[in-house]
Amino acid sequence: MSRSSRSSGGIAGLALAWAVAGAAAAEEPPPKHLPDHTPAQWLERMDHALTTRNYDGTFSHWQGGRVEMLRIIHRVQDGMVSERLASLDGSGREFIRTGSSLACYLPDRRTVLVEQRPPEESLVGFPSVNDQTASLYDIREIGHMRLNRRETHVISVSPKDEYRYGYRLWIDDSTAMPLKSQLADAHGDVIEQIVFANLTLTARIPDSSFRPEISTEGFQWLRDDTAPHLQPGSTALAWSAMSLPPGFRMTVRSAQILPGTAGAVDHLVFTDGFASVSVFVERRTAPSGAPAVPESATVGSSSAFSTVVDGHKITAVGEVPPATVRFIASQLKAQGSAPAAGR
Amino acid sequence: MNEELDSQLSAMFDDELPPAECELLARRLSRDEPLKARWGRYAIISAVIRAERGVRLNAPLAGRVNAVLLAEPALAAQAAPRDRTATRLRWWQPLAGSAVAAGVAAVSILWLRSHTPDAPLAARVISPAAIGTAPAAAPQREIYIVPLPKPPAAALVPSTELANYVVAHSMFSPPVARRNLLSAFMTSEPAAAGTEEPQPDVKVIAQ
Repeated sequence: MSRSSRSSGGIAGLALAWAVAGAAAAEEPPPKHLPDHTPAQWLERMDHALTTRNYDGTFSHWQGGRVEMLRIIHRVQDGMVSERLASLDGSGREFIRTGSSLACYLPDRRTVLVEQRPPEESLVGFPSVNDQTASLYDIREIGHMRLNRRETHVISVSPKDEYRYGYRLWIDDSTAMPLKSQLADAHGDVIEQIVFANLTLTARIPDSSFRPEISTEGFQWLRDDTAPHLQPGSTALAWSAMSLPPGFRMTVRSAQILPGTAGAVDHLVFTDGFASVSVFVERRTAPSGAPAVPESATVGSSSAFSTVVDGHKITAVGEVPPATVRFIASQLKAQGSAPAAGR
Repeated sequence: MNEELDSQLSAMFDDELPPAECELLARRLSRDEPLKARWGRYAIISAVIRAERGVRLNAPLAGRVNAVLLAEPALAAQAAPRDRTATRLRWWQPLAGSAVAAGVAAVSILWLRSHTPDAPLAARVISPAAIGTAPAAAPQREIYIVPLPKPPAAALVPSTELANYVVAHSMFSPPVARRNLLSAFMTSEPAAAGTEEPQPDVKVIAQ
C-alpha cells in the first residue's frame, strides 16, 4: 500500500482508524449504556456485527508464547460474504473467501487450496444462547471498561466442565465488535488472545481488497471446483456418535470433496451452541497392513484427533480441548446405510 | 498528533517507510514521549507483554523485539526464560506497562532501519532458491534461521489434509471461534521450505 493511499483512506493512521470506527458507528446510534441488554444479547449483537458488517482491521494474535499480526477484511455485499485474513508476519499465509469459494494461500508450502462451499452456507446462522447453553456456560458481564479509547462491555463466558473453552470478550459499546478476546481453559488460564490495533468500519470495501498480496507463480493448486451439496454421507454408511460430551448434538451431516482428495468425505458437525466440532470420515487409503495409530494434533488452541474405525479414517477438529475431539472421534460408529438427512 | 505523523508511524509499522524518513522519525521517537507511547501501544503491545515474560516470539516480530531486548539491559534482564506456566496470562494480570512498550518501540526502530522498506510482501517469503543463495552473515540485513527438513513423518493426517479440515470446519464455527481458528492456522509454524510433503504446521503426537 502506498503511503498516499494510506493517508487518504482505508486503514490510515491508527488513531484515525478508531475515529473512523466511531463515525461509522454513528450510523447506528445505540446508547453507551444499554442496561436492557443481557450478556447473552451482547453476544448475539457481537455475532451479528462480525457476520454482517463491513470492516477492515489489524490485530495481534497471541498463542503459546507467539505473537503475530494479522489483517482481516470482511464485507457483505448483496448478500455475498467476502473475507480476507492475512498473516502480516511469519508465514504470510492468506485465507480468502469470496461467496462460496474459499482459497487458502500457503506460501511456505507453495500451495493454494481452493474449496467450494454450498451457496446456502454463505451466511451461516448461529444458535442464540438458550437455556441449554446457559447450563453449560456461566455467561455474565464482568465490567464496563475503556479499551483503546473505546467504551466496551466485558462479557465472560466460562465453561462449567472441561469439555469446552471459555471466552472473555471486550465488546465495543457502539458497534458491538469484539475489540479484544481471550480464550481460556476451564481453569481460567488464557491460552489465546486477539487484540485489535486498528479497526475501520466502512460502507464500501473494493473488490481489490480481496486479492492475495503474494505471488502464486509456481505454486501447486489443489482445487475442488465442484460445489458440494449437503447430502447423505458419501461412505454409504450412517455414521453417528454413540455418546457425546454433555450438551453437544449433531447439527450437520454432509458430504463434500476436499481439495487434493480422491473421494467424497463425510462431514458431521456437533455443537453445544457455542463451541463446534467437525468430524470427517473417509475411506482409508493407507497401504494395507499399516498400523492404525491414533494421532492428536493442535492448531493454535484448537484440537484435532484422528483414528481408524472399520477401515475408515475419522478425524475430529474443533475449537475445544483435546479431550473433547478425542471423545467424539472415539465414539463414532457406522450404523448401516446413511439416512437421507441434510442439515 | 497530526495525520501525517500517524501515517508515518503506520508506514513504519508496516516496514514501508523510506529509510531516510525512518531515521528522522526514529530520532523524533527518541525524544517525543507521547509519540513513543503511541508506537508502543498500538504496534507491538502484545509482543512487549510476551517479551517481558521471556517468551519466544515469532520472526520477524521476534527480530524487532529481540533487538530491543539486546539493546535494553533492563528489559533483557526481565526476559529470562521462565517455566511454561509463566507464559500464560491470567484474567487478572495487567496487560502491559506503557513505559516498557515505549522503550521497546523506540529501539525497534533501529531494526526497521536496516530492513529494505520497499520490498513487496512476496519478496519476504522464503523460497528454496533464496535459502540456498542467502549470504551467511550480512550485518545490516535481516537474518532468517531456517530449520532443517525433518524426516518424513508417517502422519495419519497429512498437513495439507488437516488444512483442508480446518478450512472446512471454520465454516461451521461461531464467528469468534472461527476467527481464532483461522488466525491460529495462519500463524502456525511454517513448514520447512522445499520438502516434498512439508512438515505439518501443527504439533503431531503419536498416542
